[in-house]
Amino acid sequence: MALTSTENVLKYRDTYKHAAEIDVHPQAVEPFDKEWGVGISGNTPEPSPFPRINRILKVTQKSTNGFVAPDRAELVTEAYKAHPGEPQILKCAYGIANTLDKTPIFIYEDELIVGCLGCDKKGAPVHPEFGLNWVVDEMRDGLMGYSEERTHDYFSYTEDTRQRLEALRDFWDGHTVEDMTNALITEEERKGSHDGKGVFFADAYIFCGAGHLGLDYDRLFTLGFGGMLREIDERDAALDPALPGDIEKRLFYKAARITCTAATRHILRYAALADELAENERRGERAAELRMIAENCRRISSDPPTTFWEAIQLVNLANTMIHIECNGHSVSYGRFDQYMYPFFVRDLETGAATREFMQELIENFYIKIWDLNKLRNHILIKTFGNGGIGGPALTVGGIKKDGSDGTNELTFMVLDAHAHTRIPCPWLAVRMHSGTPWELKVKTANCIRMGTGEPKIFNDDCAIPSMLSSHVELEDARDYQVVGCVEPDPSGKAYGWKDCGHMNIARVLELAINDGRCYNCGPDCPRWARCGAVGGRLGLATGSLADMTDFEQVKEAYDKQMKYWCDRQVALLNAVDIAHQLVRPLPFLSILMDKCVEKGKDVTMGGTKYNFTGPQGVGIGTAGDGLATIKQLVFDEKRVTGAELLDAVRHNWEGYEGLYAYVNSDRVHHYGNDDDYADDLTKFAMDTWCRHIEHRPNAHGGFFQPGAYSVTVNVAHGQNQWASVEGRKAFEPVSDCMGAVHTRCCSHDIKGPTAICRSVTKLDHARATNGTLLNWKFSPNTLVGETGRDNFIALMDEYIQRKGMHSQFTVANQETLIAAQKDPDSYRDLLVRVAGYSAYFVELNRALQDDIIGRTSLSFE
Amino acid sequence: MLHYKNGEPAGLVTNIQKYTIHDGPGIRTEIFFKGCTMRCKWCSNPETISPLRELGVYPSKCVRDDKCGLCVKACPLDGAPIRFDGEHILASLAMAQACADCLRCADECPGRAIKLWGELMTAEELMKIILEDLSFYRRTGGGVTLNGGEVLVQWEFAHELLKRCREQEIHTCVETALNVPTEHMEAVFEYTDLVITDIKHMDPEKHRAYTGAGNELILKNIRRAAELGMKLVIRTPVVPGHNNSDEEIRAVGRFLRDELGGRIIQYQLLPYRKMGTEKYDSLGQPYPMGDFVPPERSQWEANLLHLASMLQEEFGLPAVPGSGAKLEL
Repeated sequence: MALTSTENVLKYRDTYKHAAEIDVHPQAVEPFDKEWGVGISGNTPEPSPFPRINRILKVTQKSTNGFVAPDRAELVTEAYKAHPGEPQILKCAYGIANTLDKTPIFIYEDELIVGCLGCDKKGAPVHPEFGLNWVVDEMRDGLMGYSEERTHDYFSYTEDTRQRLEALRDFWDGHTVEDMTNALITEEERKGSHDGKGVFFADAYIFCGAGHLGLDYDRLFTLGFGGMLREIDERDAALDPALPGDIEKRLFYKAARITCTAATRHILRYAALADELAENERRGERAAELRMIAENCRRISSDPPTTFWEAIQLVNLANTMIHIECNGHSVSYGRFDQYMYPFFVRDLETGAATREFMQELIENFYIKIWDLNKLRNHILIKTFGNGGIGGPALTVGGIKKDGSDGTNELTFMVLDAHAHTRIPCPWLAVRMHSGTPWELKVKTANCIRMGTGEPKIFNDDCAIPSMLSSHVELEDARDYQVVGCVEPDPSGKAYGWKDCGHMNIARVLELAINDGRCYNCGPDCPRWARCGAVGGRLGLATGSLADMTDFEQVKEAYDKQMKYWCDRQVALLNAVDIAHQLVRPLPFLSILMDKCVEKGKDVTMGGTKYNFTGPQGVGIGTAGDGLATIKQLVFDEKRVTGAELLDAVRHNWEGYEGLYAYVNSDRVHHYGNDDDYADDLTKFAMDTWCRHIEHRPNAHGGFFQPGAYSVTVNVAHGQNQWASVEGRKAFEPVSDCMGAVHTRCCSHDIKGPTAICRSVTKLDHARATNGTLLNWKFSPNTLVGETGRDNFIALMDEYIQRKGMHSQFTVANQETLIAAQKDPDSYRDLLVRVAGYSAYFVELNRALQDDIIGRTSLSFE
Repeated sequence: MLHYKNGEPAGLVTNIQKYTIHDGPGIRTEIFFKGCTMRCKWCSNPETISPLRELGVYPSKCVRDDKCGLCVKACPLDGAPIRFDGEHILASLAMAQACADCLRCADECPGRAIKLWGELMTAEELMKIILEDLSFYRRTGGGVTLNGGEVLVQWEFAHELLKRCREQEIHTCVETALNVPTEHMEAVFEYTDLVITDIKHMDPEKHRAYTGAGNELILKNIRRAAELGMKLVIRTPVVPGHNNSDEEIRAVGRFLRDELGGRIIQYQLLPYRKMGTEKYDSLGQPYPMGDFVPPERSQWEANLLHLASMLQEEFGLPAVPGSGAKLEL
């Protein structure tokens, strides 16, 4: 019991200088109003008060480059081969069990919490069930490692690894989620998709799991793996095999049992390794730590945790095992300050741990998350750079199930832990509402002012009613967590398929006013032979702006075109959904989710309580300004004809330089300036998207939820799109998330943050039940001092009161970012907000860097 | 000086900035009026000095005459005052002054390369914009700040506008150099909650050398404002080579302590920063401080901190560096 005794309290009192300030209310380790500086980002050596954490940080890589780990792929293949002819769910279960039993495991120097992905730090296991060809092909073609095509997020591998994976290729060929999806769709779904003209993307889950969920922590902590096994056995025993439905349930329980017992064995492997290391450890203190780690693992391998240390250890191991199984993005850590609080209180009462020790554990836990990694192809990393494992959100604050405020000491400690580590993990979310205490607002503001981009702020007063509109029960809605970048999610109770695809609604406007054709329709297009050359068109014939006689016709064309594309996107997403159910059920994840074991049904097939599918609308500002430009110039002012405006964009504004300057000037109504003319049309642009997505049935027993954000795919969608009427030139990014337009010519929002706040909140955030996001960007000098802090808090309060759902923040000087582009080596620690997550700026690709630099900087001076 | 717009009293305004947080408490809407009674060499708002409308020219926004040419077509003098450098329009003093009463080129310029400095706005028009951010003022104790130029040049209009703000219970602040007739000041102060003003130097001759005006009237007005019980924030822009020595700042401190009894809300020492050069360019004017190179940030920051603590210790004044410290109203 080396580190949980009272001697330990005395030991840390010396090393921890802030101890004297602990009694400041609320009782976190740091004073609630501790300032870490403004705009300093990650550029601080040894940010933690704990020497151990600083030591670990020193050997922690500040990039998401990694290596390819072939073990999982081989072990899964081995199990599939050993069980030919078994039902798919059992093959999956055997595959995971074999991996958990045999994959390499590691325990590192100094760490107090163990658990990894079955490979060394920063390694990424391979998941052949979702598609192996792309992995092997990229290795063969030199696209996986560092090259001009992959200057960041590159993965090294040995020739041995390449050959071992190559050897598996034939076995998986034709049996992956990708293959099954292709079998389920037709040219009609494909033509406008990522595989066609890029009106919408739906490929997020073709090559990986859906993820975007958090496990049910109540379940994990109440039952433990032993309790879950008992529940599986009891329910299995109560089945009536004479009922055909119960045969399927029996099959599910068998798969669940295989994975549940494998989880217990996997954790015991860590216990054994820790004991072994302790045996050979000459430093007595470290040996004691290792023995404690072993003891913790032994308990939680089957029983529920009893201490904070055991609980956080279990959280880490359960989540790494979910990753090993599901290959999903945005597996999130739930409401950490709520589910850990009982352990925190109990340990303080019993003296099992000090506040300082628990603070140190949280910081160690963050680094464990940052060590995880995930393979992505060389195309995806261009827009999703520096993502790491991707989407490990962790939520604090907000109201509890009973409606009262849930802020506690852990809420503060979680934010302090970010300031003490300054790495982009986990993706922190602070829930706020009208009753959020002032102290938490100050702590959050001080964290944001550092400029690392963490945390994001979510608004209960918008998110909860929004979830109620999706038929989520009141208590579950109040207990939501944020998953991944943007999405509110009933913790542990939802398989939400969030962020599964996105529609470029600015592209829909293009097709709407150009009779279903692309502006750059011509022989250069790979689809020309099937589309334009035969007198056809990509989309629905909705007429040309040249022939439209009033603005209502434009709106009608946009509406019809939107329905046409939503139909196709929904069809494609449902096909992918079905492919998952057929090819890759998730029996291990299922036992950790609410209701799956009760229902005897896999989570992919609708086993848990809530089942959604959430694609996003992208280019909201671009579509809104486009509509405003058309209405004002063509119909109100009659400054140009519809034919002229179409001609201007077809020519990418060449020969129309005056018009280009005009549409980009403040003479035209633009979204983001508190101008109803443009804001109302932007609302219409977004509502039309929502209307054609919301509540449509999905393939796993629930329905669709529209989102209103882009994260970074606004850059990718822009690269697929010719010029547009609001003043964008060809291939520039479309507008990001809920933000205003900024073209290469200028920013369309010029009235500052209060106008942004009012414009953006005229849109109906609650209707975007899959989430919304506004990226704010501030220059550091506007946030300095108490004045800067308090007025910033007021701005956020106003945004919350006006029912804006979600905000994220960049605090950086334009000059700093430009300097970092020029001299990346001096700015390795410069963390910035991308959208949905923070990343090391110099690890992003140039287009995304430029997009971040271009976001309007809101200066208060 | 009172302007009119369609027979209604109007203010000549160069800029309306929302969400300013350094000129008065809370979140504010700040309105900049045109026309000034001084000529400070470090002025960063040269477009507010002349009481007349002017044209500013931003060459980088110009589409080019061969591709656009709308300004030349619109010009009643066939483009005689408009000059191009082969690609873009050029700024010139002649154009800034001569064309400001015609404005046809500015109306036509699609990219706002030709920009009008000085728009006539009625109190009603301004109130509409002010009220857009009402909820932010209520939340933060913010409100409206009138600034310039010298807002008290347009004292009749300021009086009317502030009266309307008072009727809406919006906090009012006037930032003024106070180099104006005392009775104009007194009239506007009827509806003013907070006054921000400068003491740029205690020595009248040095004051005149750098601002074009002596300080006798200013100091008299400050004394009068204190007598009237106005809440005062006093500022000194600390300009190297002009007033940045300990003795010069001590002289200000002595005045504040001995003549005002130290009854001020705050005394702010502001850094000199080379700002507004692009606006001088747009007006075709040279920057008056020329190629003066300001000191490094660390140097002036250290000096401001030193001066502030000196005034706190020696004179017991609420002296602070910069304008970011909270006002204790």
